[in-house]
Amino acid sequence: MNADTRPLHLDLGDLIAEAAGQPIGDRAREHLAACEQCQLEANRWNLVADGVRGLAAATPEAVAAPEAAQPARPRRTGQRVPAGAWRRATLVVGSVAAALVLLVGIGAVTGYVHVHLSGPGTETALTAVTGCTQLEQADGTLEQVNGSSLVIKTASGRPVTVTTTATTFVSMSGPLLSDITDGAPVTVRGHSSGGTIAAAIVTVGPPSSAVSPPGFVPVQGTVSDATTAGFTLVTSTGSRVPVTTSSDTLVVVPHASPGQLQAGATIFAVGHAGPDGTLSARGVAAITQFRSGATLHVNVSVRDCSPSSITEALAAISTAPVSAG
Amino acid sequence: MSDPDGDAGAPIFTVSRDGAGGDAALLRRIGQGDEDAMAAFYREHGRVVLAHVLLVTGERALAEEIVQDAMLAVWRGAGSFRGESSVRSWVIAIARRQTRDRRRGRRLRVVDDAFLADQPGPGPGPEVTALDRAELAEVKGAIQELAVPHREVLGLAFGSGLSLPEVAGVLEIPVGTVKSRLAAARTALSRILDEKGQNR
Repeated sequence: MNADTRPLHLDLGDLIAEAAGQPIGDRAREHLAACEQCQLEANRWNLVADGVRGLAAATPEAVAAPEAAQPARPRRTGQRVPAGAWRRATLVVGSVAAALVLLVGIGAVTGYVHVHLSGPGTETALTAVTGCTQLEQADGTLEQVNGSSLVIKTASGRPVTVTTTATTFVSMSGPLLSDITDGAPVTVRGHSSGGTIAAAIVTVGPPSSAVSPPGFVPVQGTVSDATTAGFTLVTSTGSRVPVTTSSDTLVVVPHASPGQLQAGATIFAVGHAGPDGTLSARGVAAITQFRSGATLHVNVSVRDCSPSSITEALAAISTAPVSAG
Repeated sequence: MSDPDGDAGAPIFTVSRDGAGGDAALLRRIGQGDEDAMAAFYREHGRVVLAHVLLVTGERALAEEIVQDAMLAVWRGAGSFRGESSVRSWVIAIARRQTRDRRRGRRLRVVDDAFLADQPGPGPGPEVTALDRAELAEVKGAIQELAVPHREVLGLAFGSGLSLPEVAGVLEIPVGTVKSRLAAARTALSRILDEKGQNR
């Protein structure tokens, strides 16, 4: 009677919850990560959800701008209307209109005017992504991970909630030597001397074309005899190549889960803004620690709005500490 | 369940949202006539409610009127909120009733809800292919062409931050019907995209 009676694929409720940013069960999440058919369905629902969120996100500015100077008063007579409350409430709308004077960017989105605001009290925590007007970026320091949601503290000090789904590209990078474990497939990039590779970048996981910093020839294989000082790379031909690592070695995990991300990491998230200021992420790059200790501010630039373009852009950011140096 | 709008058939909510305690406290203050709390409530929920109502009505001025009426109803009925639902779904339910009342008078697009809810989900076919090919901008345009019940259920599920049980509470239908209506909405959306693709 203990037989698993779950359907082979995700049910509609899971797919909808996933697209809505609601939590789904671990088994459903694991299945989704491995099932191409379910990923296709999830992507279709994500597109629908993004469409709704995109329309909703464009609404407040579009409505507030022309009406704010003279907000409509309640029209019914004989009602006990809190004049002060309405004045204050509509002042909120008015403040948005006032901030329009300070607008820093305007883009047309399906008939609506999509305005990025800045100014006292209305400073947006999201910024535009170069190359795709439909995407926005949030970056800052990771404060919390709540299941599939991240809370980022931006440079202005404002928290931004970033939601992810099973189809969100999540990468992490930094001196993550503990993520190099025996049996893990890796790609090593570094300087070879006397048959030993001094690893500059180790990419953990299946080979990823997105992670391709210039200047290094990648060597692929499987980890054996891992220690904090290095490991043996076993190639597909059975060759065993000694690899040394150090605190300068950048470890990239291009297919991580939100739960693996560490508080304090520098986060770059790209996705679609919701009406409540959350970002529904299509991609997240978490950089655990810069060797220089410096803070990186990057305006994410994509070729186009496609998922592969987002992945490429964030993977490039993941390797920035080495490839930019 | 309190019903500040005095509307019969108010939904019974059983699902609470995280953080609803703060909203509930806000409502208590509003119930005591705290105008600052009303302004804070508007800041917290006004945008989402407005976005949803605009998605459903497609008319900016009408949506603004409905939201203002809904906020008035909140001001008058906040003291009777019992916390049996999330505040977000409560205020959206109020706005929905306001919208429904306006639609009755204006005879917007008439669609048989039962018919919509009973439509099966999409199987592999040209509609699915259309969705696979579609760009986000095309999807947004197609959503605006959907029938009201379809726009409404999509807006609640994906634009308002409500869970499926909360959506069911707002719409006063079972969760299973919410799912089938969402599936029907996606099918209709795909067909619109397919037609647009064929006309290009």
